[in-house]
Amino acid sequence: MLILTRKAGESLYLGDTIKVTVLKVQGNQVKLGFDIPEELTVYREEVYLRIKEENLMAAQATKQDFFMATELWSRKKHE
Amino acid sequence: MVTKKARVIHSRVGPLHVEQERLILFPKGLLGFETQRDFALVRLQEDSAFFLLQSCTDPQLGLMVADPYVYLPDYRIKISTAEQELLRLKTIREAVVLVTVTIPPGKPEDAVLNLVGPLVVNIRLRRGLQIPQNQLRHPPRLHLAGDRPEDESLPCKRQ
Repeated sequence: MLILTRKAGESLYLGDTIKVTVLKVQGNQVKLGFDIPEELTVYREEVYLRIKEENLMAAQATKQDFFMATELWSRKKHE
Repeated sequence: MVTKKARVIHSRVGPLHVEQERLILFPKGLLGFETQRDFALVRLQEDSAFFLLQSCTDPQLGLMVADPYVYLPDYRIKISTAEQELLRLKTIREAVVLVTVTIPPGKPEDAVLNLVGPLVVNIRLRRGLQIPQNQLRHPPRLHLAGDRPEDESLPCKRQ
């Protein structure tokens, strides 16, 4: 891992197009600003990990639970 | 007559005849399954809001997904310009939204909809993308059975 020290107001570039600025440091929180190309997506890591976990769980349901849930929740929908 | 456009896919619920228009390309895969690109969206039962999102290449990989709007009509998500481009969305009418479903083992009645990572599909091009929501107006999960006892994380509705 590359480790750099920056002060509030200082920036760094990732490649030619991505600029990251340290806006504010307060206690254990750092506020970062990103100047990035429109085609780049940025996600918070905990959101990313959560979805990964949910995908794994959605793929783990047994065949039987699969069909039972489909049956059960389709009926509920029409009640 | 079986149309020549149908294709047999080996799925986790057995072989399935899937029509071409039910096949979806996820150019970036799904989170946790980044190498899987080709999926089929199969309705397990007529008239159901539940679907199986089955990998066309790995018979073991099939996720349960659902149409969230049947259960949560005001579900709102944000799609960035970058994501719209990846999906090649021209208008929002081309977009279909699905969410994954978690079923606790042996408890299909406790099924939960996961709202943080919706799957958005361009139905015209059959191109899909899972779009993490950094900010969500809703609680992250919807317990289908929880519509009577109010979920403690639901925003309070009183004025």
